[in-house]
Amino acid sequence: MLEAIKKGGIQVALSALFMGLGQLCQRQVGKGLTYLFLHISALWFFLRYGAVMLRGFITLGERRANPTLNIEGDNSVVMLIMGLFAIIVLIGYLLLYAANIKDAYNTQTLIAAGKKPLRFSAELKSLADKNFYRSALFLPILGVCVFSVIPIVFMILVAFTDFGGNTVPPELVSWTGMDSFFRILTLQQFAPTFFMILNWNVIWAVCATALNYFGGLGLALLLNKKCVKGKLIWRAFPILAFAIPGFINLLAFKFMFSYGGPLNQMIINAGYSPIGFLDLDAKWMARIIGLLINAWLAIPSSMLLAAGILSNMSKDFSEAAKIDGASAFQIFRAITLPFVLFATVPVLISQFIMNFNNFGIFFFLRGGLYIDGYFLASDTDLLINWLYNLTIDNNYYSIGAAVSVVIFIITSIISLTVYVLSPSYRQEDQFK
Amino acid sequence: MRKTKNLFDIAWTYFLLCLAGFIFAFPCLWLIMASFSAGGSIYSFDGFFPSQLGFNSFALLFNDTVMYNYPKWFANTLFIASFSMIIGTILVILTAYVMSRYRFKSRKAIMKTTLVLGMFPSFMSMIAVYILMTQFNLINNHWGLILIYSAGAPMGYLVQKGFFDTIPISVDEAARIDGATSLMIFLKISLPLSLPMIVYTALTSFTWAWSDFILPKLLLKQRDSYTVAVGLMSLGETEFARFAAGSVFIAVPIVLLYFCLIRLLVEGVSAGAVKG
Repeated sequence: MLEAIKKGGIQVALSALFMGLGQLCQRQVGKGLTYLFLHISALWFFLRYGAVMLRGFITLGERRANPTLNIEGDNSVVMLIMGLFAIIVLIGYLLLYAANIKDAYNTQTLIAAGKKPLRFSAELKSLADKNFYRSALFLPILGVCVFSVIPIVFMILVAFTDFGGNTVPPELVSWTGMDSFFRILTLQQFAPTFFMILNWNVIWAVCATALNYFGGLGLALLLNKKCVKGKLIWRAFPILAFAIPGFINLLAFKFMFSYGGPLNQMIINAGYSPIGFLDLDAKWMARIIGLLINAWLAIPSSMLLAAGILSNMSKDFSEAAKIDGASAFQIFRAITLPFVLFATVPVLISQFIMNFNNFGIFFFLRGGLYIDGYFLASDTDLLINWLYNLTIDNNYYSIGAAVSVVIFIITSIISLTVYVLSPSYRQEDQFK
Repeated sequence: MRKTKNLFDIAWTYFLLCLAGFIFAFPCLWLIMASFSAGGSIYSFDGFFPSQLGFNSFALLFNDTVMYNYPKWFANTLFIASFSMIIGTILVILTAYVMSRYRFKSRKAIMKTTLVLGMFPSFMSMIAVYILMTQFNLINNHWGLILIYSAGAPMGYLVQKGFFDTIPISVDEAARIDGATSLMIFLKISLPLSLPMIVYTALTSFTWAWSDFILPKLLLKQRDSYTVAVGLMSLGETEFARFAAGSVFIAVPIVLLYFCLIRLLVEGVSAGAVKG
């Protein structure tokens, strides 16, 4: 862009000075007026609102509410989000400015080459043709920005404030830097809980992913056997479990393991005292029940996945191996498993992350349980459940935000490493 | 010797299959039986199965709406899921098509950004949305849910992109020689060719909104604005039969849909696997 200004003539300089002027001088009236209009409305926005918003973003509010004097105080959270909004508008404005300079420069080179620049209406028409990708991506990108990017950025920003606890509007929030992170990692109140939960979270994610993956693979191999008749019917059972919405199954399992549930009724009828499967002291029992229920829910979909991949696998290798006298297990270990693993690395990563952040299982089975030694959590809770307890139930917003940033760092390091190393990323265009 | 080994192998295979079938079918069977129980509480059951059968839980579900307004929850869920499905499918298909067919400057950057965004716990943005919605007093609004579901949908465009990658580009080029614009190619050629993928996308986005419980639980606080998921969560052990009846009633249409479209689903799942 700097090059464009240096090499460009007076019109480019005019565009750099005031958006749209260059285009007007190049007799591109429609485009020039559009740029001019956008520029003026942006300037108006920043003078009228934007400056205040940006200032509010830095201070997060200075005036405390005072009901006796009837002073309406600043709402720090609204100021934070509005400041974020102003920053986004500012970035958009700068990008537009750069596009405007580039456009003036392009027109200039076209004129210098003796060609006629496109009319504005023709350029608009190209949005349905050459530039179709721009018009098509506009709405999706806008949606993702508003409902995913802004909330995520907001949450990251919250991690650097003291928002939460007693410091919620109408109280004033302020920036505190890395304080929340230090508090999670060092403070007696949070640190032990954080590390205990992190530890269990990693164990959970590894076990659950492995269990679901090999369970699904095993089931698919079983159904793939030559001797099995009526495959459709056998396959229907897991698919039935797959098709029922997850929350129904989770609630049903919770009823099944509850004190009044059928399992305990049978135990009572047999003359024993009821077992608190998911009770306060049921640490490992509850964890294992959680793993099994999760497997019940996830194995059908990984079975479908494995079946799809197995049907793509050529039978040549395994048949050659069979002739050479390899046992069924040897074939599985040396031929089938590497093939399936190769094809499913990306899915494995996403399943690992999904399991790492598996909110539903323990929210339904043991939600709202707080155990001694843990700060607002139970011994089955994953980081994501702790996050819920901290933020939604107890207002520890900045601590929760810091926890979610930590979750992000952990999962992204793991998955980026595996993903970049995996062949399916490097050879994206190979299948064309 | 060989034959007995084979026989043993077959027996063992079928035993495992029966076991798996039982494990997967039993909880479903249990729920269906429970929905037809005469007594409502879980304590009136004899072990796994109800002591008396009857239809009153279904009758209660639709008539006794003072505390638990199931018909209203059902209508809410249908409304939210349908609109999320329509908007979400359009956005996903557009994104996937463009990402598969066009090579433009910011393409790799967009792909990497979505990858990184996908690694943030989706929960994180939900909590942010919750805080923001409470600050702006937008709690209990169904359109908020619809916008969040459908706007988040383009993030999962990879399966659909993989599908568009397999449609040969020569078809497009032929049409372009005949003077078709990109928009026309998309509408008249690519869309009709990708009908199975559209059905798959619509089905998955519908079931996602249909069976999600986290977001409605966060954002819907009035009993009348509940979705079925949140409503069923509010039922206790004494309302077990009603819970079972409500579950069966919303699970049946979804299960039937899945069985009709199972071939598509399998293709969708494995397409995503190969392409990443």
